[in-house]
Amino acid sequence: MSDIFPKWTNRLPRNLIIGALLVGTAVTGGVTYYFTPKYTRVGYEPIQPVAFPHSVHVTQLGLDCRYCHNGVEKSWYSNIPATSVCMNCHNQVLKDDPRLAVVRESSATGQPIEWVQIHKMPDYVFFNHSVHVNRGISCVECHGHINHMDEVFHAKPLSMTFCLNCHRDPAMHVRPLDKITDLDWTVPHNTESDWKSQQLALGTKIVHDWHVQSLQNCSTCHR
Amino acid sequence: MKTIPPPCPEPEVGPKYWRSLEQLADTPEFHQWVEREFPSGASEFTDPVSRRNFVKVMSASFLLAGLGATGCRRPTEKIYPFAKMPLNYTYGVPQYFATAMPSRRGATPLIVKSSEGRPIKIEGNPDFPDGNGGTDHITQASVLSLYDPDRAMRVRRNGSGDSRAAILDFLQSLGKSAGDGTGLAFLLEQSSSPSRDRLQQALTEKFPKAQWCLYEPVDLDAGRQAASLAYGSSVEPSYKLDQAQVIVSVDCDFIGSEQDAHGHIQRFTDGRTLNGKDDPMNRLYTVESLFTLTGLNSDHRLRVPPSMIVAVLARLALNVLKSSDIDQKLRELAAPAESHDAWIVPCAKDLVANAGKSLVLAGYRLPLAAHLLVTAMNDSLGAVNQTVEFHEAPKATGTTFPDLAAALNAGHVQTLIILGGNPAYNAPVDLNWPQAQAKAKTVVRLGYYEDETSWNAASHVDTQWDLPMAHYLESWGDVRTADGTVAPIQPLIDPLFGGITELEVLAAFGAMTPASPYEIVRETFRTLGGKSDDDWGKFLHDGFLAGSAAAKAASPQHNPAELASAINGLKASPAPTKDSLDVVFYRDAKMDDGRNNNNGWLQELPDPITKLTWDNAILLSPVTAQALGVFTNRNVQNQKFFNYRVELTVNGRTITGPIWVQPGLADNTVGLALGYGREKTGRVGTGTGFNAYKLRTTDTLYFASGATVKDLHDNSYELATTQSHWSMEGRPVVREANLAQYRKNPAFAKSMRPEMPPLNLPLYPNPLDTTKKNGLHQWGMSIDLNRCVGCSACMIACQSENNVPIVGKEMVGKSREMHWIRIDRYYSTPLGTSDEKEKGMEEPQAVVQPMLCQHCEAAPCENVCPVNATSHDDEGLNVMTYNRCVGTRYCSNNCPYKVRRFNFFDYNRRPLNHLYKSPLVTVTDGEWELLRWLKNPDKGNLPEDEWQLSRLVKNPDVTVRMRGVMEKCSLCLQRIEQAKIAAKVKARDSGDIRLSEAKGTVPKTACQQACPAGAIVFGDISDPKSTVTKLKAQERTYQVLDFLLTKPRTTYLARVRNPNQDMPDYKELPMPYTTKEYDSAKSGSLEEETSGKGEE
Repeated sequence: MSDIFPKWTNRLPRNLIIGALLVGTAVTGGVTYYFTPKYTRVGYEPIQPVAFPHSVHVTQLGLDCRYCHNGVEKSWYSNIPATSVCMNCHNQVLKDDPRLAVVRESSATGQPIEWVQIHKMPDYVFFNHSVHVNRGISCVECHGHINHMDEVFHAKPLSMTFCLNCHRDPAMHVRPLDKITDLDWTVPHNTESDWKSQQLALGTKIVHDWHVQSLQNCSTCHR
Repeated sequence: MKTIPPPCPEPEVGPKYWRSLEQLADTPEFHQWVEREFPSGASEFTDPVSRRNFVKVMSASFLLAGLGATGCRRPTEKIYPFAKMPLNYTYGVPQYFATAMPSRRGATPLIVKSSEGRPIKIEGNPDFPDGNGGTDHITQASVLSLYDPDRAMRVRRNGSGDSRAAILDFLQSLGKSAGDGTGLAFLLEQSSSPSRDRLQQALTEKFPKAQWCLYEPVDLDAGRQAASLAYGSSVEPSYKLDQAQVIVSVDCDFIGSEQDAHGHIQRFTDGRTLNGKDDPMNRLYTVESLFTLTGLNSDHRLRVPPSMIVAVLARLALNVLKSSDIDQKLRELAAPAESHDAWIVPCAKDLVANAGKSLVLAGYRLPLAAHLLVTAMNDSLGAVNQTVEFHEAPKATGTTFPDLAAALNAGHVQTLIILGGNPAYNAPVDLNWPQAQAKAKTVVRLGYYEDETSWNAASHVDTQWDLPMAHYLESWGDVRTADGTVAPIQPLIDPLFGGITELEVLAAFGAMTPASPYEIVRETFRTLGGKSDDDWGKFLHDGFLAGSAAAKAASPQHNPAELASAINGLKASPAPTKDSLDVVFYRDAKMDDGRNNNNGWLQELPDPITKLTWDNAILLSPVTAQALGVFTNRNVQNQKFFNYRVELTVNGRTITGPIWVQPGLADNTVGLALGYGREKTGRVGTGTGFNAYKLRTTDTLYFASGATVKDLHDNSYELATTQSHWSMEGRPVVREANLAQYRKNPAFAKSMRPEMPPLNLPLYPNPLDTTKKNGLHQWGMSIDLNRCVGCSACMIACQSENNVPIVGKEMVGKSREMHWIRIDRYYSTPLGTSDEKEKGMEEPQAVVQPMLCQHCEAAPCENVCPVNATSHDDEGLNVMTYNRCVGTRYCSNNCPYKVRRFNFFDYNRRPLNHLYKSPLVTVTDGEWELLRWLKNPDKGNLPEDEWQLSRLVKNPDVTVRMRGVMEKCSLCLQRIEQAKIAAKVKARDSGDIRLSEAKGTVPKTACQQACPAGAIVFGDISDPKSTVTKLKAQERTYQVLDFLLTKPRTTYLARVRNPNQDMPDYKELPMPYTTKEYDSAKSGSLEEETSGKGEE
């Protein structure tokens, strides 16, 4: 039979299995890394029509998130402010700055500024901002430290796993209502492990007192 | 522990229930039909697509997929915030406005939900003193007409486009040259608008010789006319059905097709509410020739041909009126009905015995004399100010429609202004309206559609202007409701296509100031007493002007003289035979007089009785159909039902249409629904039904006699009916008893459960056993079959709230309709001798039952889903996760209630007549579909206008489902979640997040909110104080198919009938309480019927 099958064919099954395993591992690894929101979404930083630095407005000037995103406590949607809100200050401050030309034009013509959307939920997910910010979930949990960003980028994956991590264990994520828009706030602590226990203590109390539910039903988000 | 598989129980508990003649006949075809999950080829791909074609299409699709993969990046999307922040507006928070929908001479006060500026959902105004927040299906569906892509969209002069300014200028100049109004005629629809009255008055003063004609093809005004004649002043009757113990309806479908039906339903069912066994309950007698919803809900029903109805009424009057009021003429009229004395005499006795608490009603089809007779009877029964009240009403004046046609034909009218209506389609055929209309030199026509009355080249009119009418959701206006209360019509959106209102046209014609509709209405409101802006604001906010109801007529005096003279004019007509049939023209339950013809929701809504969709039919009773040789031995091909087409001739005029054999119809009588067979309508209405107006003349507006039927020997017409779908095969799904039986055994419904629960365990695990403790609430629903009348408002409300698509006639024919809630109509035949059974088929009783997802705790559907797309949440809802669903349809197979619906096609994105066509071969808007898709993959292959407009009506809080996805009732999950979110937002850092009915935070489901009868109650069953908990504790409560132990969260309250023992058709409903009793009953007369069935 050796005429038909040369010797190397004896190793063929082993090689094939090993090869398949290697390829399989590579594909699985590739898919888990490249096909998940952690890769596809995190870091997305499109160029916006106006170079709006959150770092300046929030951290340096101390504006509250809700001055501009005023729908966040009432609606499922956290709105991008109208041009008129920008002009509340910028008709006095930096009123001739070339970087604000687009804003002034929008204000004059009534045409909206075309911002590029960064955070987006699929249509079958019904996320509601108001119920989160009114019940102890800070902006920072999903959007990262926007207060230090010069240009906004997608900081967290916002995948279903990401949502569920918090929904399964709300105690590690809730905070007092007056600290919701204080993105740098953490529970007072000394070390990293101390933070965990302090947050857990605070969170457990909040979860108990406010009746925060750990909602994991499909119907919580999908309707 | 082994679970013994359940034999299919086939207990004949109670009467035999059946849904269609096929089922009653028990044909093999029917068996084949019901035994399938989705009957009639619904789940097969029977299209003649060859394998070769399929491979061609598929390979092209793969090619496309390759193209698509290169664009595998997230598309850049823009956000467009406001440039200037509007006041009091937050994106994402819906707004609600009070307005009203005008009907003929009344209106329905509404609260309309607007999402991002789009009106999307209509609800009744719950604060309105005379209402309960319920509406009817036509009101619910009216929001779809707003976004109808076939609406009239432009001003046209002789067919070509012109500007809005031009027509307003033209109207002004027309008014200036009108002189004293000679040669000027206005043709209007009925309206209750105070502003229109005011403008009309002003114009009458300015043009005293102008003719004003009010025309309604189906005029529901006879009751008012009769009362005004009988009482000598202009009064309008209003019926206090809730105060009545005995109601006799003579051809009056007050539950279905009369004016203000939803108000009647509300009051009628109030009189039928049973909270305990000692509660009183009204009794309804019906005399009718068609089978209507009122007949369906009656306790006794007399089926007579239309030519006999007046005789029966006269006979009833003989037994009710004082002998001094009876003259010889009445006796003569009553003579032919002597044979029905066995029915009429005890009925009259019941009326008289309950004098002061009884009421007689006459329907719009009856002649004025019949209404006068009814007025006299009510007067004699002491009903006035007890069960019927009279309100002062404005006098109706003006030219009659035939007179206007005559004036046109004689050349006396040069300028004709038509505001609304569609006379060219629905005018009596002997008037030949299209020609009469063309005799006018100038025609100005305001209409919602470009239809039969719009300009057409063949009519040879000199000048015709066609104006697009504004939808009521785009207009300023005002109306009076049935009781005279003034309500505002305020716009929720700017006119989408520059629509013009009636008021604007009238004001422009008279060159009046103010000319804007807002100012006109504001001005009228000032005359009604609303001086300050605060009053105006309150008026708009509340949606009605409190205390503006019409004054009650002070002690009206009945004048019998009018009656005597009117009766003299009546003559008895001969009884119909099979060669000389009686014809009844009736207002269609959905199309009305044809005005809703292009509304897809209404077209697809099954008729409450026939369950036909997308068509009307020539209705015949089984006996008549048999005699004529067109009985429903329908042609069953490829598991679809085809019907006979016949030619119907009345007085030399002929139409052809399909036969529908309708049990319960009077023999030798033909029922013809108006409103179909439009020649010029939109893409939805085109090709639906036949035009019954073609047989209708001035003398035979509602009844005609001497009709003949010619069999065309063509049984190829497909009627899409939902009546045989989802049949329940004789299990005790609907449970009912007589009032006496109920009083004896209030828990009868529970004992009707066949005593053969072979299951000692539920078939499926109950996930709530472990998760219930996590749920803050436990949702449940209770449906009172005693209150449900089958009006179908809930079906459209659900469709509107939950983005349920329409699927088209072909798909309904394949049983693929998508309604999440359906109204099952079961005919029932008393069990007894074969004679009685035969009669039962002719004169069946019927019951209705809303059927929707039962939200079983131990749900059979959940356990068979391979991808966990349907699961339970811990508040007891059986939820669907659309994005997980892969479309195996196992869940639907396993659902014992057949309430799951599958998207066989992308109904939201594809034109319904192109469902089977590949995008590779379709051309839309002149562009190859593939190219269109490449340019914008989101866009479906609907034409651009349809795509843009159909999206606007969608509820943004509910996912729009795509092809291949299963869906079903979610108990309005979005409303529940929003209510929970609202409670949490309000609670902030307190723990007060539980919804409670006492605080008014529990939401209503869409069906519950729309139900005028209050039959559907949803709530938290873990709250002992909630209404639903109390209802579920009632003894009448039962679960459908309880022997399966699925533990449904939706329960029903059994139906109770209230028949009179003295009536000839009185029958105890057989109610076997135990298996033993059941067996002994079965071994009697039932044996031959049930033998061989139900045994394994």
